[in-house]
Amino acid sequence: MKIFSESHKTVFVVDHCPYMAESCRQHVEFDMLVKNRTQGIIPLAPISKSLWTCSVESSMEYCRIMYDIFPFKKLVNFIVSDSGAHVLNSWTQEDQNLQELMAALAAVGPPNPRADPECCSILHGLVAAVETLCKITEYQHEARTLLMENAERVGNRGRIICITNAKSDSHVRMLEDCVQETIHEHNKLAANSDHLMQIQKCELVLIHTYPVGEDSLVSDRPKKELSPVLTSEVHSVRAGRHLATKLNILVQQHFDLASTTITNIPMKEEQHANTSANYDVELLHHKDAHVDFLKSGDNHLSGSSREGSFKETITLKWCTPRTNNIELHYCTGAYRISPVDVNSRPSSCLTNFLLNGRSVLLEQPRKSGSKVISHMLSSHGGEIFLHVLSSSRSILEDPPSISEGCGGRVTDYRITDFGEFMRENRLTPFLDPRYKIDGSLEIPLERAKDQLEKHTRYWPMIISQTTIFNMQAVVPLASVIVKESLTEEDVLNCQKTIYNLVDMERKNDPLPISTVGTRGKGPKRDEQYRIMWNELETLVRAHINNSEKHQRVLECLMACRSKPPEEEERKKRGRKREDKEDKSEKAVKDYEQEKSWQDSERAAEFLTQNCLALRRGGKSILILIPLIFKHEIQDKPGVKFLTYGT
Amino acid sequence: MDDYDKTCLESALVGVCNIVQQEWGGAIPCQVVLVTDGCLGIGRGSLRHSLATHNQRSESNRFPLPFPFPSKLYIMCMANLEELQSTDSLDCLERLIDLNNGEGQIFTIDGPLCLKNVQSMFGKLIDLAYTPFHAVLKCGHLTADVQVFPRPEPFVIDEEIDPIPKVINTDLEIVGFIDIADISSPPVLSRHLVLPIALNKEGDEVGTGITDDNEDENSANQIAGKIPNFCVLLHGSLKVEGMVAIVQLGPEWHGMLYSQADSKKKSNLMMSLFEPGPEPLPWLGKMVQLGPISDAKENPYGEDDNKSPFPLQPKNKRSYAQNVTVWIKPSGLQTDVQKILRNARKLPEKTQTFYKELNRLRKAALAFGFLDLLKGVADMLERECTLLPDTAHPDAAFQLTHAAQQLKLASTGTSEYAGYDHNITPLQTDFSGSSAERI
Repeated sequence: MKIFSESHKTVFVVDHCPYMAESCRQHVEFDMLVKNRTQGIIPLAPISKSLWTCSVESSMEYCRIMYDIFPFKKLVNFIVSDSGAHVLNSWTQEDQNLQELMAALAAVGPPNPRADPECCSILHGLVAAVETLCKITEYQHEARTLLMENAERVGNRGRIICITNAKSDSHVRMLEDCVQETIHEHNKLAANSDHLMQIQKCELVLIHTYPVGEDSLVSDRPKKELSPVLTSEVHSVRAGRHLATKLNILVQQHFDLASTTITNIPMKEEQHANTSANYDVELLHHKDAHVDFLKSGDNHLSGSSREGSFKETITLKWCTPRTNNIELHYCTGAYRISPVDVNSRPSSCLTNFLLNGRSVLLEQPRKSGSKVISHMLSSHGGEIFLHVLSSSRSILEDPPSISEGCGGRVTDYRITDFGEFMRENRLTPFLDPRYKIDGSLEIPLERAKDQLEKHTRYWPMIISQTTIFNMQAVVPLASVIVKESLTEEDVLNCQKTIYNLVDMERKNDPLPISTVGTRGKGPKRDEQYRIMWNELETLVRAHINNSEKHQRVLECLMACRSKPPEEEERKKRGRKREDKEDKSEKAVKDYEQEKSWQDSERAAEFLTQNCLALRRGGKSILILIPLIFKHEIQDKPGVKFLTYGT
Repeated sequence: MDDYDKTCLESALVGVCNIVQQEWGGAIPCQVVLVTDGCLGIGRGSLRHSLATHNQRSESNRFPLPFPFPSKLYIMCMANLEELQSTDSLDCLERLIDLNNGEGQIFTIDGPLCLKNVQSMFGKLIDLAYTPFHAVLKCGHLTADVQVFPRPEPFVIDEEIDPIPKVINTDLEIVGFIDIADISSPPVLSRHLVLPIALNKEGDEVGTGITDDNEDENSANQIAGKIPNFCVLLHGSLKVEGMVAIVQLGPEWHGMLYSQADSKKKSNLMMSLFEPGPEPLPWLGKMVQLGPISDAKENPYGEDDNKSPFPLQPKNKRSYAQNVTVWIKPSGLQTDVQKILRNARKLPEKTQTFYKELNRLRKAALAFGFLDLLKGVADMLERECTLLPDTAHPDAAFQLTHAAQQLKLASTGTSEYAGYDHNITPLQTDFSGSSAERI
């Protein structure tokens, strides 16, 4: 696939000269008399569209289909030509929508039949079209910037669709020569410019249109190479619906579209609410949605040729919908659609049904009579897509079950906890740019990875590997400690959790220690608490570099946790060793190792601060402080506390 | 597949073509291994004959190469290079690879024809075409060694701008999670089994944990089965929660991991690859713009998990979602005129809808330069005015006359009334206060 093919840039050049004001001579009845009305009223005379109206509405329909199916990267520049060229929009993405074009066309208005035909010409528009093709689009600019030294890989091709009323074949030749000449000139200009690009390839599609019933003065001519840069084709088309049909065919050719007719759509009748009739709706989409039919040569089976259309449509049958948005279908492609007849009742019924969030499976009638679900229609955020579902045999037949592989025999995975973890690590779009403190752009996806890194620093996979994650009492701490930064309230909650654990230990509450693989009753209660405290310490230590508040949690933990005697011994020895160490070396050393809270005085100070903080918070919280600290704190002013222990 | 007693490579290749397409369709990559003694057959149906007539084919008897599916053609010759070079066999076989767009390779035997040399030739094929793809699946600090099967194929995004095929990383890094309903059956390039593997210290594969008949492997596999593995945990939770994990496969390339049930009991961890690019799924937006919910001001999934930030709404609505005006078929125009007429007969109750439809028609007529229609509809409204029954509300006549007059002004195409953004507003009458209440 090429992004910068001829379809990247389409220039419409529509003739706005006086003769385009002429009627197309195809009448439209607009005054349809309804039954049961007063007899004897003569309906108003039918009206007919001008050549201009036919040209404009056909080209708008071309754009409608194109914008529906390719809302990005396929751009239109609309030019009308009379005594000069009027360029109605630019290549920018903001200008690429029907409303903009319609408003600009309304400002131009219909051609003035009384203008001097000598002053008017389609040539002005064609020259402007070449000029505009040289202008770089934002996509081309972006790609060139990205490719740096390979910027020349970015192509500049385009298509000019010119709707005019030509006088003769030689007149057509003159128009072609003019385009050829102008490209030559503008390519010279573009060669010396930074913001212009030379045209590598231009497809000129000249459409001669004339009133119904007249003889064409111009003959059709298939695509022909006029020069290595320019190809040209000529279509001689009667105005009215013939012109619209022609442009519908062209949009399909130009953008590789194909047609699918959804058949058997059940619809309630307005008059008879109880009955439903079946309708068909034809949709256009990229032809790759038919890739399976094309490759297997199956398309002639279900396709039926429509009269007056160059292409076949493939019929797919509506399957009664079921709620399936929690089902993950194996989908090999999804293509935006555009209804051929957008405002017809069956079309709008179908599109509204889908826009309301329902999906429809589509069935493909096959030669053998067997039915295969091959597609699905579904809307995502107000856009309807035709999904191609894989209907052929899977190459992954009968794969080994995950339970038969590595880790498959383990039965106590923390499935629910990891589910909770996944929900906390769900993604959401951040459309407005955010900046880091240093002013650089923050990439949300990198933030997501950072968060996963933080949340998994200590994450035992199985229940029997952990104590703390099996304890409801630890949840308040475990759920906040993984955060990048903590609030004062978070710190208090963590401290409360720790005090609560201290209280549990004092009361000798049992712990959910796994006895898997151990004989007898398992470890003794104090051993259980030692395991629990060690694990909690591992968790908290994993996060102390996040912020100063995380350190405070560790400080609290270290001050409160029970420590077996031998550990105290080890730490003392460690301190002695430390004293001998070089001071500079000590500074480099991870400070967390050093911040041990053996010092009871510091512990006292710490507790005092926190008691005060609690008091300031205005909450009455029962703080239980192990007795060993009692004498340290007792003397501190403003501290009122409860003690426990014997 | 029928077998034949005559060397006829073309019909064999046609057979391969048919079987692959019937079974797997046209999108699944397939390696075709052709084992031959290097003799190409004789007469009609021989490879020489097939190649000689290659340029005279019609659509109905197309030569089977290139295969109509992504493929590699490996030709295993039970002969050594010298033997093949003595005739034009090698040239003909090379033509086959060329015809398959160069996708494939020819293998020959080194030295004399014997079991050992044949084994070594097939060993080379296995090394080339059947090396398993090993990767490390990561979610922060949680990791698992995995085999990705089948091997992910390199992908070319745009042959002109970026012709170098992209290959996926051997580090598969999970970046976050999304509900299945939000990811919504996305299109994928390919899908693969993600099998946890046990590696020994040297990094060699010890086993997949799958029980095998082999005695030695059995014990190793049983041990591997009992060691907790992140893949199993991830799979279990994805399945229970109905979620997918978004995984980064390379720069601007992502995929998803999910649980795939094969049958009632069997299920597996699967990985699907999205098309490379900054925005593979329009309804998720740009991948780099996806961030953790904790960075949002309030949880976009709601406190009760009852909403979702997806799908993203595009800036511009598509034609079928914005009530565009298309009058290419007369019925389109007639419907729009009828709508106005229907509301006109229910004035003043339907004043707002009447003017809404009137303005819609007016805008389109101005854009299409279809001023005759404005005159026509004005005439029609004037006629409606004369047809009003005696019982009609007096406001109806005022509004119809006003609307007709405004359309006529617009149909001149020159006055300020012909402005595209100008809207015809209801006439303020003595009755309009009471009519507004009724709306």
